Amino acid sequence: MMQWLRAVKTLIWKDLVQEWRSRDVITAMFSFAVLSIFIFNYAMELAPANRNEIAAGIIWVVMLFSGTLGLNRAFSAEQDQGCFDGLSLAVPDLSVIYVAKMLSNFLMMVIIVILVVPLYSVLYNHSLFHSGFIGVLLLGAWGYAAAGTLIAGMTVQTRMRDLLLPILLFPVLMPLNMAVVKAAGGFLTGMPYTQFSIWLPMLLVYDIIMSTLGFMVFNYVISE
Amino acid sequence: MSSQNKTIRTLFTVAAVLIAIAFAVVLLYAPPEQTMGLVQKVFYFHMASAWLGMLAFLCAAAFGILYLSKKELRWDRFEASSVEIGLIFTLVTNFSGMIWAKAAWNTWWTWDPRLITMTIMAFTYIAYLLLRRGMDDPAKRAQFGAIYALIGFITVPMTFFSARYLRTIHPILFGAGAEKMALSPEMVQTMMVSLVAFTVLFVALLLYRERLMAAEEQLSALESAQEDFDA
Repeated sequence: MMQWLRAVKTLIWKDLVQEWRSRDVITAMFSFAVLSIFIFNYAMELAPANRNEIAAGIIWVVMLFSGTLGLNRAFSAEQDQGCFDGLSLAVPDLSVIYVAKMLSNFLMMVIIVILVVPLYSVLYNHSLFHSGFIGVLLLGAWGYAAAGTLIAGMTVQTRMRDLLLPILLFPVLMPLNMAVVKAAGGFLTGMPYTQFSIWLPMLLVYDIIMSTLGFMVFNYVISE
Repeated sequence: MSSQNKTIRTLFTVAAVLIAIAFAVVLLYAPPEQTMGLVQKVFYFHMASAWLGMLAFLCAAAFGILYLSKKELRWDRFEASSVEIGLIFTLVTNFSGMIWAKAAWNTWWTWDPRLITMTIMAFTYIAYLLLRRGMDDPAKRAQFGAIYALIGFITVPMTFFSARYLRTIHPILFGAGAEKMALSPEMVQTMMVSLVAFTVLFVALLLYRERLMAAEEQLSALESAQEDFDA
C-alpha cells in the first residue's frame, strides 16, 4: 500500500515537473479558456440581469472545452516515446497509472478553475466566489478527469486520436454536465436548495461510478 | 453451422409472424385513444423499439464484461452486433416519437429531458462504432470496445429515469408517476404482443449479425493468409 501511494506520488510529480518545464499545455488551456469567454461575450448578450443564470453554464463549457486540450496531451508523451511499456513495468500495479494520470488531470482542471473564476469575476464585475458554486465545479472537475483519463488513454492509441476524444467523451459526460450546470446555477442564483437537491447526489454518484470504473478497467487500456 | 442456420431461420420466421400479428392487433384490436385518436397507435412500436434499444445496450455491456473476463472474440462480436441493432432501434424510437410529437405536441422536436437524453444515448453508441473503426488490431479493438460499451451504458439508465425524476412533458405510463395517463387492458395486451415480437426480432438479428461478423473475420484471415502466400 505504501509502495502504491509512493508510486502514485512519483508519477504525479513527474507529470507536474514535465508540465512546469514547458508550461505548454496549461498556457494553451488558459488562453483557450479566455478566448472562449470573449467569444461567449459577443455571441450572447451577457446582460447583467441574466448573468447569474448563464455564468454557471459558461464557466462549465469553458472548462469542458479547454479540458479536452489537456486530456489530448495527457498521454501523448507516453504514446509517442513508447513510454507505456516502461511505465507498466515500473509501477507496482497498473492502477497506479490511472490514479496518477487522473489526479494530474484533475489538478490541471483545478488550475483552470483558479485562473478562470477570478478572471470572469473581474471582467464582468460580478463575484463568482460562492463556496457551493466552487465546490460543484471541483466535483465536476473530478468526474471529468475520471471519465476523461480513461477515454483519452484509449483514443491516443487509435488512428484518429485527437479527433475522437470529444466525440467519445462528451456523450458519456451527459449526466455530469446536467448535474454540474443545474447545481452550480442553483447555488449562484441563490435558489432554495430543495429546488435542485436532486443534482448534487447525482454528481457524487457519477464521480464515484466513473472513478471506480476507471480504476477497475484501466489495466485493459494499457495491457495487450 | 447448419443447426445454427436453422435456429436463425426459425427465429426470423417466428419474428415475422409475431410482427404481422402485432400489426393486426395494433390496427384492429387496440381501441383508439380518447384525445389523441389514431396517432397514438404509433406508441406500440415506439415503446417496443425503445425497449429493444435499451435491452440491446444492456446486452452490449454484459457482453463487454464477458469479453474482458474470457477474452473470446465471440463475445466481442455479440457486443458489437448488439450495439448496431440497439442504435438502429433507438433511431426508430426517435423518429416514431417525432411523428407522434407533431400530432400531440404540435412540434417535431422539443427540448425535453427525455428527448435530449435519448438522443445523446444514440450519439454515445455512434461514438462506439467510430472508436471501433479507428482501430486495426482486433484484440485491442475488442478490448476498447468492451470498455466503452461499459462506460457508455451510463447514458442508458439516465435516459430511462429522465422522464421519472426530471421535469418533463414526456408521458410516463408505468410505475411511479403513471397516474396521469392510463392504458386500458386492451392497450396493455397490444403492447405486450408488440414487445414480445420485437424481442424475438432482436434475438434473431443478434444471432444473424454475429454469424455475419464471424464470416467476415474468417474471410479477412483467409485473405491475409493468401497475401502472405503470394509474397
